[in-house]
Amino acid sequence: MAPKLPPTYPLEHSATTAAGSQAPTHHAPPRGLLRWLLTTNHKEIGSLYLIFSLIMFFIGGIFALVIRAELFQPGLQLVNPEFFNQMTTMHGLIMVFAAVMPAFTGLANWMIPLQIGAPDMALPRLNNFSFWLLPVAFTLLLSTLFMPGGGPNFGWTFYAPLSTTYAPPSTTFFILALHIAGISSILGAINIIATILNMRAPGMRMMDMPLFVWTWLITAFLLIAVMPVLAGVITMMLMDINFGTSFFSAAGGGDPVLFQHLFWFFGHPEVYIMILPAFGIVSVIIPTFARKPLFGYPSMVYATASIALLSFMVWAHHMFVVGLPLAAELFFMYSTMLIAVPTGVKIFNWITTLFRGSISFESPMLFSLAFVVLFTIGGFSGLMLAISPADFQYHDTYFVVAHFHYVLVPGAVFAIMAAVYYWLPKWTGHYPNERLAQWHFWLSVIGVNLTFFPMHFSGLAGMPRRIPDYALQFADFNMLSSLGAFLFGFSQLLFVLGVVLCVRGGKKAPAQAWEGAWDLEWTVPSPAPLHTFETPPVFKRPTP
Amino acid sequence: MWGLIKSVLAAFLGVQKEEQRRKDFSASSPWGFIITAVILAIIFVVGLAGLAIWVAR
Amino acid sequence: MRSLWRWIVSSSVFLSITSVHANGWNMPRGVTDVSGEIYGLHMTIFWICVVIGAVVFGAMFYSLFRYRHSKGAKSANFHEHTTVEIFWTTIPLLILVGMAVPATATLTKMYDASEADLDVMIIGQQWRWRYEYLGEEVAFTSNMSTPRAQISGEEGFGEHYLREVDEPLVLPINRKVRFLMTSDDVIHSWWVPELAVKQDTIPGFINENWVNINEPGIYRGQCAELCGIDHAFMPIVVHAMEEAEFDAWMVERKEAMKQEALGVDREWEMQELMARGETVFESICAACHQSEGQGAPPAFPALAGNARLIEDREWHIQTVINGVSGTAMPAFRNTLNPVELASVVTYTRNAWGNDTGDSVQPADIARRLAQ
Repeated sequence: MAPKLPPTYPLEHSATTAAGSQAPTHHAPPRGLLRWLLTTNHKEIGSLYLIFSLIMFFIGGIFALVIRAELFQPGLQLVNPEFFNQMTTMHGLIMVFAAVMPAFTGLANWMIPLQIGAPDMALPRLNNFSFWLLPVAFTLLLSTLFMPGGGPNFGWTFYAPLSTTYAPPSTTFFILALHIAGISSILGAINIIATILNMRAPGMRMMDMPLFVWTWLITAFLLIAVMPVLAGVITMMLMDINFGTSFFSAAGGGDPVLFQHLFWFFGHPEVYIMILPAFGIVSVIIPTFARKPLFGYPSMVYATASIALLSFMVWAHHMFVVGLPLAAELFFMYSTMLIAVPTGVKIFNWITTLFRGSISFESPMLFSLAFVVLFTIGGFSGLMLAISPADFQYHDTYFVVAHFHYVLVPGAVFAIMAAVYYWLPKWTGHYPNERLAQWHFWLSVIGVNLTFFPMHFSGLAGMPRRIPDYALQFADFNMLSSLGAFLFGFSQLLFVLGVVLCVRGGKKAPAQAWEGAWDLEWTVPSPAPLHTFETPPVFKRPTP
Repeated sequence: MWGLIKSVLAAFLGVQKEEQRRKDFSASSPWGFIITAVILAIIFVVGLAGLAIWVAR
Repeated sequence: MRSLWRWIVSSSVFLSITSVHANGWNMPRGVTDVSGEIYGLHMTIFWICVVIGAVVFGAMFYSLFRYRHSKGAKSANFHEHTTVEIFWTTIPLLILVGMAVPATATLTKMYDASEADLDVMIIGQQWRWRYEYLGEEVAFTSNMSTPRAQISGEEGFGEHYLREVDEPLVLPINRKVRFLMTSDDVIHSWWVPELAVKQDTIPGFINENWVNINEPGIYRGQCAELCGIDHAFMPIVVHAMEEAEFDAWMVERKEAMKQEALGVDREWEMQELMARGETVFESICAACHQSEGQGAPPAFPALAGNARLIEDREWHIQTVINGVSGTAMPAFRNTLNPVELASVVTYTRNAWGNDTGDSVQPADIARRLAQ
């Protein structure tokens, strides 16, 4: 696809050096709070997204620690089952919709324009709007915890009729909050697609884009495809609760299983929405620190697209025990197993990139390598879960909890942290304190494995998920998990400390902060000035 | 035609020779690839469903 | 809620005791042919993953160690190799096909519930299981029997904490038993790992599953699908018996049902009703309305001192029989028999200082149910 911008400019990044002198010619920006409320700058909005997501990561984390504290030993000690259910629900909702997704959107806001040589996002005011919807949505969602009858208590998957006929009165607010968050996601996705397709630097073709940009482009299409399905299903819930319809109530001729089909038709692509940008980040970081081009770049792009397409035809593997017909069971088992092929391609490519490289182990690389290993472990348990007959034993147990936490915590979350350590020099002009980052890394790796590895065993031994109290044979594994969770949770304070220190000072970073990094963002000064690439740079393909 | 199908199948698997890829990407219009890909994707889904139904019969 | 300090102390004591006898960390092989096959599939795919993992991680850590920048490694510049890429795309594909074949065979077997010797209806209810032996006129409800005092920490844990019931599901071995599964309220999931049966029970729909148990014994499981506040407290106990023993149990159980039905017609003493009512209340009602009748407002109203309940006897009876639509209060007309209904109403009218002094007779309830 041809870039829509004028083809040639004499200077590669003249605009960035001139940015300081150009800024005053704009009308004066508002100061203080208003500046952040009204900003249309992709870097500022990116920072807002990231800060929001970090706050939500801690709120969701506190909910997780309430859960783990209660599960530390058998019996009910700290919370009652009603509150426990609200905690499991809120932990899931906040982590998925308010921590992981906005973090990736924040990274996209910051880095996609910089990586493709664009001056800003294509639709800056829309960008502002889609961010400010989020605090509204999640303040509303969190406020349900203080409403009479409590907040949502039916799990983040909110299966009907538990979430309709039997739900607390606050459920209508929960639906509204999700609607708002969904609109935010769709608008963000539209913006990202418009930016990538229209605003690449002259000379940069689609197959020249950094993988982070590619994976986000595909993710954005997934978002646009499935968020409306979520909006549809929660609207049907709203009708069932408030207007007497019976979409999901068998008593009125509806079907509770329909809810699950609709939810997972959204939910499975949603899982990939949370992991594809992580693939992109790791595919950018590993070549940098291996000082070697990414192995199989085109196959990485193709594999991402394959995974995205397959994600639309595997949803019912979440429903193997609801009583699907045999043919459906087989179809979803086969299609799910097939996802292992493109996923495997990615892992092999990363490892071959390392092979015969020149590898150093700075903190972004450490998080990326941990991602490769631990995500693969999550992939293995995913492969096991795909075997439908065995899933009759795994389903709804801690084995599943272990699986999706392995792909989401040392998967998505580690990739986000790798990205933060990788791009902090570009954002702040300072290197993060490497010693602190290494402490953060090792404590996180130990904590995450101590938390989630024992869950494989408690699940296989027969412990169902979402229970506030359990039989005595699961006690040892739960105690280990709880200890690990507290270790992991508290070591994230080191992350905050590292980021804060890095913003305030530290070793000065040059424009090209990492030796092996060559994408366009490393051609602008560190810290990146507020306005970059006002005159498009000419993209030069690296010579193989 | 066969070349088109081969390129699309290679994209499905994510494996393609660099020179072939360059040749494909210099094609004047992407529509041939897009239409072939959509048809092959439909054949894939229908084929997999057919297999499942045949096995379950 | 106890103080944090006591919690920490008791936790550390608990850790030192339980870490001595860890047990059970893999999927059980189970006691049916199907469960054995599933176990086999599980172990096969597990070892496949271990082997692939060893190769992949081996290659990775070799590269990380061998090509360290700090040891002066110079990076190569290759970035594609079509043969290798085709190789690592086809090998996983072949492994997957190899895995799909036995999985398909097992799944097909699991879906064949035909020609059963015995049909049992399993009905999920918040938060208990109801079992009906179809064609045998035997039906009962199975409630968790772990005392609430153990959960709250006032008593020590029993051996089968949270995995014990007042009346287990009794099944014969060596006979094909078909389960027909449904629910009265939300979605539950009936799961016993040793039998490798996990099936959602869905309101308004009937799912099928089956077992043919090879060994007599007691097998424990619990609800696997989040179903509300007491999701953790609806255990399943299956007592598998030799065939002759099972037939004898069935005869005996039918007789007991008959005796219970006869009890409806006689006049019950207040004390009898109160004693029976307390047991029923503890196993059925206390989950929501709490054992002292204090409830958990606003979702679960208090019964102790409830003015409407005390003043309006008729309303009280109707509420227990028919439930209150749009709330968590279910109708108990099909779950409890007239004796149980009468006694639990009597109990709630007289316990915790409600002291109305009036009682409800089973015969009265039976008349209402017949209308």
